[in-house]
Formats: sequence, C-alpha cells, structure tokens
Amino acid sequence: MSEINTGSFSIEELENVQITIGSIVGAIEKKMEAEGEMGPTPKPGIIGLREWDYKLLNRYEPVYTPMCDQCCYCTFGTCDLTGNKEGACGINMEAHQAREFLLRVITGAAAHSAHGRHLLHHLIETHGPDYPIDVGPSNLKTPIIQTVLGYQPKTIGELDTAIEYVEEQLTQLLATIHMGQEGAAIDFESKAMHGGMLDLVGMELSDVAQISCLEMPKSDQEAPFVEVGMGCIDSTKPVLLCIGHNIAAVTHIIDYMDEHGLTDKIELAGLCCTAHDISRYKAADGKKTKAKIVGPLAKELKFIRSGIPDIIVVDEQCVRADVLKEARKLSIPVIATNEKIMYGLPERSGDSVDDIISDLVSEKEPGVLLLDYDKVGELAPRLVLEMSVIRKERGITAIPTDEEFKELTDRCIHCLACELACPTNLSISDAMTAASEGDLSPFETLHDNCVGCGRCEQECPKDIPVVNVIEKAAQRVIREEKGLVRVGRGQISDPEIREEGVNLVLGTTPGVIAMVGCSNYPGGTKDLYTIADEMLKRNYIVLMSGCTAMDLGLHKDDEGKTLYEQYPARFVKGNLINVGSCVSNAHIAATTIKVAAIFAQRNVNGNFEEIADYVLNRVGAVGLAWGAYSQKAASIGTGCNRLGIPVIVGPHGSKYRRALIGKPYDTEKWSVYDARNGEKMPIAPMPEFLLTTADSVEEVMPMMAKNCMRPTDNNMGRMIKLTHYIELSQKYLGIIPDDWHTFVRSETDLPLAKREDLLKILETEHGWEIDWKKKKILSGPSMKMDVSAQPTNVKRLCKEA
Amino acid sequence: MVDTTKNLKMYTTHGTKSAKPVQPNIAAKLISKAKRPLLVVASDVLDEEILKRAISIAKKSKVPVAATGNAIKRFVNEDVNAKYINIHSLGAYLGDTKWTGLDGEGHYDLIIVLAHKKYYINQVLSGLKNFTDLKTLSIDKHYLQNATMSFGNLSAELHLEALDELIENL
Ligand code: SF4
Ligand code: SF4
Ligand code: SF4
Repeated sequence: MSEINTGSFSIEELENVQITIGSIVGAIEKKMEAEGEMGPTPKPGIIGLREWDYKLLNRYEPVYTPMCDQCCYCTFGTCDLTGNKEGACGINMEAHQAREFLLRVITGAAAHSAHGRHLLHHLIETHGPDYPIDVGPSNLKTPIIQTVLGYQPKTIGELDTAIEYVEEQLTQLLATIHMGQEGAAIDFESKAMHGGMLDLVGMELSDVAQISCLEMPKSDQEAPFVEVGMGCIDSTKPVLLCIGHNIAAVTHIIDYMDEHGLTDKIELAGLCCTAHDISRYKAADGKKTKAKIVGPLAKELKFIRSGIPDIIVVDEQCVRADVLKEARKLSIPVIATNEKIMYGLPERSGDSVDDIISDLVSEKEPGVLLLDYDKVGELAPRLVLEMSVIRKERGITAIPTDEEFKELTDRCIHCLACELACPTNLSISDAMTAASEGDLSPFETLHDNCVGCGRCEQECPKDIPVVNVIEKAAQRVIREEKGLVRVGRGQISDPEIREEGVNLVLGTTPGVIAMVGCSNYPGGTKDLYTIADEMLKRNYIVLMSGCTAMDLGLHKDDEGKTLYEQYPARFVKGNLINVGSCVSNAHIAATTIKVAAIFAQRNVNGNFEEIADYVLNRVGAVGLAWGAYSQKAASIGTGCNRLGIPVIVGPHGSKYRRALIGKPYDTEKWSVYDARNGEKMPIAPMPEFLLTTADSVEEVMPMMAKNCMRPTDNNMGRMIKLTHYIELSQKYLGIIPDDWHTFVRSETDLPLAKREDLLKILETEHGWEIDWKKKKILSGPSMKMDVSAQPTNVKRLCKEA
Repeated sequence: MVDTTKNLKMYTTHGTKSAKPVQPNIAAKLISKAKRPLLVVASDVLDEEILKRAISIAKKSKVPVAATGNAIKRFVNEDVNAKYINIHSLGAYLGDTKWTGLDGEGHYDLIIVLAHKKYYINQVLSGLKNFTDLKTLSIDKHYLQNATMSFGNLSAELHLEALDELIENL
C-alpha cells in the first residue's frame, strides 16, 4: 500500500479535481522519528523543562518590584498584598508578581503568535501549503522549531504544527492566571520561561514564512538600504502611511501600485515593524526597496499631527489606540485591516471600492474596516491620490503657526503638571519659558527624549497641546531627521556560523550584542548610536532588530555616514547586522542554537535543555532592549533567558516587575559540572544575571562587556573580554571595576598592556602570590584554567566519574 | 524653611501604603540617628549643585555612598567612601540577609535615595517596601511613594534649598 503525503495532487481520470491533504494524523510524529536523533523533550508541555528552569532560577533569583500594592484580578478582592501579605485566595505578593510577569510574557507571545497565525494562513492561501521554506543557504532553517518541537518543517504548510503547539500551550498558560490555583512564585516563573520559549517559536515561524514567500532578503549580507526618519518623507507626493506589524494587507497595496505604475507617484511610508517588513518585501537579491521608514511608535503621534499622511492603514500590535481620533481631526481616513484593531469602524468588505472611496473622501465615514486584501490593495492607492489633492489644498496640519506658537508658550503657567505626568520627567516648563523668549534649543533637545506619548497634554490645566508645541519648536531637527538602515537580512546562515562559531566559543570574538526592542530610551535615540559605535569599534558583533534597528540609522558620523554604511553586515567580529522586524528576533536566539548545532555538533531536535546549557556556558551573547516597553519585549527577553542568554533592559524595564539577578557573593551558586567526569568546578559569576536593568549608557557598556564572558573562554578570549570590561569601566565610569580579579584564572588572562600593574594589584589588594621573575600567578584564583573542561549545569550530560 | 510635604501627587504606582511626607530637619535627624545608613545616588549627581550637596551629606554624617548608574565618576576624586553598584542589584542584595554590604561590614538600617530617575528608583523602592523591613528615605525632588518617607514633589530650586536645610541640621 502506498503512503499518502500531505500536499495537493490531481487524479488523472477526474478532470478539474484537485485533492489537498492538509494534515495526516501522526504524520508529524512520523517525520520527527525520521529526523534521526531525538532529544528528551520534543514539544514540551508546561512541566517539560521545569527542572532546567529551576536550575536557572536557583542561581538567578527573581527580584520583584511591584507596580501596585494591590491585586484586583477577581471580585473576591481587591486585596492589599503590601509587605508580601496574602490575598483572599491565598496568593501572596511574590507569587502575584510572578503571575503578573507571566501575564506580560504570554501577552507578548500571543501577539507574535497570533500575528504568525494570521500571516501564515494568509500565505498558505496565496502561495499554497507546499510552498517550500527557503531562508537562505542554511540546512538548519528553523533552529528554534527543531529545538523545541523536534521536527524540521520543509514547507510553509508544515509550520502549522508549530503554531498549533504554541496556541495550545499558551491557552494552558493563560489558564494558570486564573484566581486560586498556583501558589508558588517559582512555578509561575517556570511558566513564564515556557511562555518566552513559545514566543521564540511563534516569531520564528512568522518570519520564516514571510521570508520564504515574500521575496525578503535571505541571509543577505548585501541587503539594500532604506531611508529612515520623519525628514526623509517627501510630503509633496501623496503620502500613504502604514502602521503596525503585519505586512499581509500591505503587500497587496504594493503590488497594486506596481501594477498600475504608481510606485513613484505615491510616497509609501511605514511606522513600527510593518515599516521594516515593507522594506524587506521583494528586496531579495539586492532589489530596490519599496518604501521609507518613518520610525518607531515614539514618532507615531508626532507624524500624524504633522498632517503629512494623507491616509493611514493600520494592521496590528504597537499601534496607538487613538489613531482614528487623531487622524479624524486632520481629515486623514483610516483603513483598519486586521481584526485586532477595529476602532469601532464599519466592516465594508462586501462593498465596492468606489462606494467606500466616496464615503471616505466625503468624510461620511472617518475610516473603514476592510478585511478583503484585494480591495485594500486597490482602495489605499486610489484613495491616497484623491485625499492628497483635497488635504494639500486645505493645508491641514496640527502644527501651530508662528503666532499660535508664541501664544501657546506664553500661556504656560509653569505648574509642572505636565512634567509630573511625563514618563521621563522632561523639563517642559523651562523649555516653554525659553521658547517664548525665542530660544528653541531646549525643545529641540527635548524632542529626541520625548517618546510622543501625549500624557503631558492630558494634564495641562491650560489646554496647551504640548506635543504640537514640541513638534513646532523642533521643526529644524525634524527636517534633518533622516538616515539609512540596512534592510533586515533575516537569519544568520550556516556557513557564517561555521566560520565564526569557534571565535565565539573561545572568546576571541569578544561577544554578540543584540540590540532589540522598542523606543522608550532613557536618553533619546543617540544612546543607541553611542552604544553600537563603541561596541563595533571593539569588534563585538552587533545584531539589531525592530524599532531599535530603525533609530540606529538616524545618527551619522562626522562624514555624514550612518553605522550601517560604515560596517559590513556579515556575521563576523566588528560587523553590524539588522535581522529585521520584531519577529526576526527569533533569528538572534536561533544563532546561539546554530553555534551549538553546527560548531559543536550537538543534536538540536527536541533537545532544548542541552542546547540552552551549551549557550549559557559558552556563547558570549547579551541582549540589550534599551527602550523596551511592549509586553513583547518581556516575552522575547524571557525566551532568551530560558535559552541561556542574559538580557539587559533600560531603566523603564524595572516596570516589568521582575528581574533575574544572581548574587556574585554567594559562591555556592557559582559552580558547574565538568561533563568529562561529573566533578564540580567553580566558575566566576558569568553571566551575572539573566534579566536586569541599567540606568544609563555609561553604566550599560561595561555591564555588557562583563556579561559576555563565559567559562569556556580560552586565555586569549578572556584577555580580550577582560580588557574591554576594564577599559569600558574606566572610560565610562572612571574606575577600574571592583570585581575584575574574579575573572582571572591565570596571568595569561590579563590584558597584556596592563599585566604588570594588574599583577601588582592582585598581590597588594587581593593577597595573591606572584612569582615576579616569571611574572606568574602562584596562588589566588578560585578557578583553574583548563581548556578542555566542559562546563555544564546538567548532571545527566556528564560522563560517569 | 522649605515645606517639603505639600505636593504629594503620585506618579503612576498606586498602592495602599505610601511614603510619609517628611520635612528637611526631620530627614536630617533620621540620617544622624541611623546606625548603618547608606546614601544611594544616581546619574542626577552629574548636576554640580546636586553633587555638592550629596558630598556634603556623605561627609558631614559619614554615610557611605552607593553610586549607581554612572554617578561614581563624580566621586572618584572626592574624599567620600563611594562604591559603584547597579541599583537593581543593590535592591536585590538589600533583601538578602546574607549580604554584608558594600564594605563587608554588615547590613544597613536606613537607605537614603537622591538624584534618581523617579520611575526607576520608585520600582526599586517598591521591592524594598514589599519584601524587606528596611527603612527608606527619599530626599529627591519627586514624591517617591514607595519610600518609607519622602519629600513631596519640589521644583529644582526648592529642592536645593531643602537639601541645604537638611545639611544644616545634620
Ligand atoms: S486573585 Fe486573589 S489576591 Fe487577587 S483579588 Fe482575587 S482573591 Fe484577591
Ligand atoms: S509626549 Fe513627550 S513630553 Fe509629553 S509626556 Fe510624553 S514623553 Fe513627556
Ligand atoms: S502643564 Fe501646561 S501650564 Fe503647566 S507647566 Fe506644563 S505646559 Fe505649562
């Protein structure tokens, strides 16, 4: 009997009959068997990796910083949990905070996965389930799916199994939020880790599907550049603005524009990750990108208020909830294209495009909900051409005139209500005074720090539209706000890992810094440039994604070049890579899996714990979500944490309510097994945390360098990493760090140029014994240098002693 | 005399237990009476006026300084017992009875905070409020409701005046 496979086929005798077999019971399981070696945890449930989580949580203890003293989850309460009291259901503050964190994580994971589900099904509809997965020159095309689920999907249809698994598990996790039930903080934490891991799967399948089907760059080091910044938008053309994260509808707009010769006649601009993905659409093989990037969420309100967009198309995720309200004031019609954001608009998929256009042009409706993407594709370009004529004639904008500006700044009574409400406490009142005296510079500086949230306006007793005032005052800098971003290139390819893996594990490439996440930076966009510039000069590999990747492109060196233009985009030391949008973050985590699989030949299939253990002990990578605000940043970070990658978030990240911080002084916690014989061996605290916050750029630089150190660094590698740690600390904090000596195993770990001085400090301040003739350390270090040691936290991976 | 107890408008965190407003002279008394106080400062000491006052407090009452963020660079050449530490780590260690302090001499009994990002320190203080018995005192220019005691919201000028008054009373 022959086997039936999934896919579409015709039956010869029957004309016009095509049978499609979507999924066969047990087929994936069969496939999993066929993949060869299978680890212990394919498709883990909530309990599947609990032991691994417990290991991590034992060393990296949860630190809770509640946002609120109360719990109001159910009507048994509201309960006052202050001082770790118990609520009516018996849960205490600690466990409730862990639950709150879990909720953040699964919200983020659901956002990515629901995006993935929507996009995947759309692509299966347009491209067919048999469309092959192709992400570039790699055999390991879906490292996360393989590690978590234990199978390698070959077609986009086969990604369905992964999304179903994620959805089922997310439902299980969401159920545990319900009142009563779980009482142990640590198990909420383990569940949060599970949610983070699911997020990695959801992101990977989303991006793999769109890279495969939508002609996005495939591990392309030569991906083209795309313009970025409010200043790069050509407002003389009709401006079509897309906001959100899901490119499904927008591809139809781009195709319609292409087919009707409108591409050069309409300015297609994107905000947030949709912008990244528009720029990637059909940009494979060096083709020109189709759009411009305005910027991240922080620019949303400001760009709408400028009045420049003639129509707005929204899809999902990080889109302001008041887009319709704001747009309506400026006669900008809004097209909602996804069920996640409907703004109370009428669903018009059944109506003709002509009818809808007529209702929008006449402002009978402020916007429509349109889920038929062929119609969206036709409607948006036609509508923007009509609206642009009307709107430009009327010169509609919310930006005050010079006279209005003077009146507004004079109106301020300096009550400071706005500053109190401002999340970053910006000095609005002083800037008002300066502006009313003709000095715009304080507002120009403030503009870069302002995240465009509009909270100030909600508080002002004099009804001053503060955001408009800032935007008016900053017109000069906004005009100059333009730069270039290298279009997201997708995965790191297998050949690149083959070449670079050894340098990463031995430490001779000092580390990977992954700068990801949103735009809530404590000190404005320049922060990112300062960090990336410093780390690139020091030969770190810098990976970028999402809104951070956009903002990095806004700053230039003295010769007017952005970092993307200065540094090549190959996965080797000193290179700068933009992987893509929010869902492309999966590739960053996947890179560490690839190192374990390709460089160290570890089996990945259903083998999460072993891979994560490898990453934790050997791959010097640190995630930095400097402006994190979305729940998605919490889930991405937590997924990385379970995989053994430490993450630093900016100071606002303290509002996620919990960190995972190790205690360097608790020496018991800092040991691993040597897999060769199962013996315990002490290690230095590395990485020192899994999730923590930092206050400023100056603080974060040495933190990153320090936490790229790993037990497997060879002498050369440790020397390089230690040099950067000490130098960055001296440069940015003005001190030699207190703990540098804890990372020294032998004199050859010491930075060459400073070796003698440092030996002296080791002798005098730390009581180490030095043989001065040979310049050797005789005694002192708590760890031995043993190049062939195989550090692991998992006892079962050790050979018997 | 500056009244530092007037504007108690909260920022975002709401709860059932909020900081008691405190006047500068009382704050000074608390610091003077503490056995193991710790002055925790952050990046706002880059402001010369604040720095001067932070140093005065540290010197006059011999309080050791935890310089968080990038604050340490302003203390390098000062005759003050200051050490760098990350504020979130400090928050974690302060809740651990096994920790022996920045100098190895034991736990602290009063944490004084100055020159911080309000949203950031308020979170760290929330951890201390809920999970430790530590007394915390904010002499920052924002009302930090998660401290045990705090100045109310103050303008920059009044804040400096309040700090001067506190220093006089040490
Ligand atoms: S879930 Fe528990 S703590 Fe929360 S309100 Fe209900 S009874 Fe109170
Ligand atoms: S819009 Fe800008 S200035 Fe206003 S509260 Fe938000 S961040 Fe502060
Ligand atoms: S709230 Fe309004 S009046 Fe008060 S300081 Fe701010 S801008 Fe001025």
